[in-house]
Amino acid sequence: MNTVSQSTARYVADYDSIASQLPGSGLSWLQAMRTRALSQFSASGFPSPREEEWKYTNVAPIERKMFLPRRAIPGSVDIGLLGRYRLPDAFTLVFVDGGFDAGLSNFSGLPDGVVIAPLSEALGRFPELVRSRLGGCIESEPHGFISFNTAMFSDGVLVVLPARTVLERPIQLLHVATQPESLCTVRHLIVAENSAKGEIVESFVGQEDLSYLTASVCEVDIGENAAVTLHKFQAETAKAFHFGGIYVKQAQHGRFEHHNCSFGGLLVRSEIHVGLDQASECLLNGLFLGSGRQHVDNHTRVDHFKPYGISREVYKGILDERARGVFQGRMIVHQDAQKTDSNMTNRNLLLSVDAEIDTKPQLEIYADDVKCGHGVTVGQLEEELVFYLRSRGIDEPSARNMLTFAFANEMVEKIEYESLRSLVLEELISRLPQASAIKEWL
Amino acid sequence: MSANAQTLEQLIGHEYKQGFVTDVETDFFPPGLNEGTIRALSAIKKEPEFMLEWRLAAYRHWLTMKSPEWAHVSFPPIDYQAISYYSAPKTQADGPKSLDELDPELLETYKKLGIPLAEQERLAGVAVDAVFDSVSVATTFKEKLAEAGVIFCSFSDAVQEHPDLVRQYLGTVVPYTDNFFAVLNSAVFSDGSFVFIPKGVRCPMELSTYFRINAANTGQFERTLIIAEDDAHVSYLEGCTAPMRDENQLHAAVVELIALDRAEIKYSTVQNWYPGDKEGKGGIYNFVTKRGACRGVRSKISWTQVETGSAITWKYPGCILQGDHSVGEFYSVAVTNNYQQADTGTKMIHIGKNTSSTIISKGISAGHAQNSYRGLVKILKGAENARNYTQCDSLLIGDRCGAHTFPYVVVKQPTARVEHEASTSKISEDQLFFCQQRGLSMEDAVSMIVNGFCKEVFKELPMEFAVEAQALLGISLEGSVG
Repeated sequence: MNTVSQSTARYVADYDSIASQLPGSGLSWLQAMRTRALSQFSASGFPSPREEEWKYTNVAPIERKMFLPRRAIPGSVDIGLLGRYRLPDAFTLVFVDGGFDAGLSNFSGLPDGVVIAPLSEALGRFPELVRSRLGGCIESEPHGFISFNTAMFSDGVLVVLPARTVLERPIQLLHVATQPESLCTVRHLIVAENSAKGEIVESFVGQEDLSYLTASVCEVDIGENAAVTLHKFQAETAKAFHFGGIYVKQAQHGRFEHHNCSFGGLLVRSEIHVGLDQASECLLNGLFLGSGRQHVDNHTRVDHFKPYGISREVYKGILDERARGVFQGRMIVHQDAQKTDSNMTNRNLLLSVDAEIDTKPQLEIYADDVKCGHGVTVGQLEEELVFYLRSRGIDEPSARNMLTFAFANEMVEKIEYESLRSLVLEELISRLPQASAIKEWL
Repeated sequence: MSANAQTLEQLIGHEYKQGFVTDVETDFFPPGLNEGTIRALSAIKKEPEFMLEWRLAAYRHWLTMKSPEWAHVSFPPIDYQAISYYSAPKTQADGPKSLDELDPELLETYKKLGIPLAEQERLAGVAVDAVFDSVSVATTFKEKLAEAGVIFCSFSDAVQEHPDLVRQYLGTVVPYTDNFFAVLNSAVFSDGSFVFIPKGVRCPMELSTYFRINAANTGQFERTLIIAEDDAHVSYLEGCTAPMRDENQLHAAVVELIALDRAEIKYSTVQNWYPGDKEGKGGIYNFVTKRGACRGVRSKISWTQVETGSAITWKYPGCILQGDHSVGEFYSVAVTNNYQQADTGTKMIHIGKNTSSTIISKGISAGHAQNSYRGLVKILKGAENARNYTQCDSLLIGDRCGAHTFPYVVVKQPTARVEHEASTSKISEDQLFFCQQRGLSMEDAVSMIVNGFCKEVFKELPMEFAVEAQALLGISLEGSVG
């Protein structure tokens, strides 16, 4: 903590030269906010494994590199890649290396009152709205990545769903990295007013075999009776570094659903923090795959502040080769949150002798009239199941594959949004051995 | 709810029955800790040179360390210079040769505590080592055990009589560089129990140590070392109490268990240190390091603990499962009431092939207490087919208490199977209603449900202790809703 790494010092030193290019540079309140965040970052640097919350994830490889903020000349976008990951029936906003690209985006035909705007534009159109919301969902003390994002965010989106609006078409935020050593620092603000409903997909992809850093932060503010479904589809390149933080604040009877599918990236950390009000509901589903030397860390924190909250969490991991998976789930039931009903499950499949999983599901309960539970399992495929399939004439590798696929598919099936589900399924199959055979079974 | 609240009141309103002070003349060191203290302590004990060196090395290491802050407990910083590191009943200085020569005050104390040392001599049953403040005052059944080849004596005697064994095993499980409190213990431990079960011997009786803190402003630092050679078997019990005082007293013990091929050690604790009063004033800080090493193939170490006392409990009895096919077990009931805080659990480190471990932890939290389970299950690469099953259940009584679970699972071996389950709830109204409808009073219903909740652990205790534990649970929680 005391010795700030060289790269941290350089980000801070170079900050003045890029500050004027960042959106909202003319707004004094935003300048003040960024300066504060920068000094926090300069003091803390990126988190270290000495911090309990980062015990199993060492971000030193990120510190050893120096990623460059958005350059004046954008890289060339691989349209084929974009087409593959673009959801056909969604409003799509494309962010190239952290900057909004109007030409590739398409979100015309919005219903009345609904606001979807790149943050750079929103700061001009609705400065007061952004000012009152920015950072409002982040309850905990911000760590290095969050202050880094606040200081450096290059763009993002502002979504406002006015009261009693149901947005039929989902919104896709498609992030693509096109240049080596680039930096994608986006900041999204999603506001669902009372009784509004919407669905948003965050997709993260990268071109070729690039090495870059994504450090995104997404804030979701859910009003009374409102419902938001958020998906994260992460298929970064095999050399990419990824930090994605999601901060959710729920009002009474609000409902939040999150589906987290993590496939790519060399060093990945996903954080989801949810704060629940009275009788609000939260559903967190996650699937993470790791192979090669991937390190995938999923960190969730659910705070039940008020009574009658419900939370359900299921995370499944499949780790092969030398991959390392981390799951840290924190469930906190505060003193007033009587009648809370919460459950957390983490199941992990280790496919190779060199794979590793570190899991830490925590319950912290300060109220008495609650029903809380958690469960963890780690293991390999059930031998009896493999035997059953083999007794039916299926060879061993296929049997194992079939079971591995079934283990993961259970999470895919929870996604209701059809075109996303098929995209996830395709991505999943392509990352499992014997992809063609699996397709045949389906 | 009002009936529940009432029962809770009764439950919480119990008195700590072991809170008396025995008036004996004592030798003690003035408060303070420096190398001189350690040299003086070692001199009193007439220790060989290697012990003093070991203590000093630990002390020097301790000076470089900071008090740990990661546990889910809070307490003001401890002033280590304000503690007296040695306090012994005066008569002990001359060394009584038998119980007849023991200070009658001491005999009376243990009688009051329900450990009549003299009767124990006549009635066959449990061999007891009684530790009073810093020293062991009596060990019963020494001769009978010696016939079987079992060495059971105070740690000081062991250092004198069996220095080679002590030298061979001391600090091999909990090295003097371990954690803050274990290191402090290594530097200043004053006594404890030593057990050695030679090859092929099944210890003919239960062994037991009874720890008593009596003097004010002292810390108790004892060290227990149990070695079971090939095919040996031993069951060991530990009990503890202290007087009621307004200031907090520190108890930092270290227990090391070593099980060689096919050996089995069963270690049971009923911990009933003074928990402090209703306002959370006073009580013992119980910061203990307990660790067992299953060195041999098919060895087994089983920890059973019932924790009802102490203002703060901070202990994680663990097993290092080194030998192939070795087994580690941990059964725990931790009860916290009023302002007690407990952060307890276990560590199971699987190193050998086909090792297995079971963890059953039951936490009961009432009043303003905070009760945490913190456990680590680590499966290393070589631990093929390792197996772990963990179950942690918490029961909450009252809306101002907390129950927390912090399990850490680290698996580096795909053939391992690890399962962890945890649940937290209060006693359900349905269960209470069912019992009351069958004619049980609210209090009986609660006590029955709580007992049922803890049964899995109590059945692991030796019979004499199971009865005591059940009674203790009754006193600690009698009538509470949970």
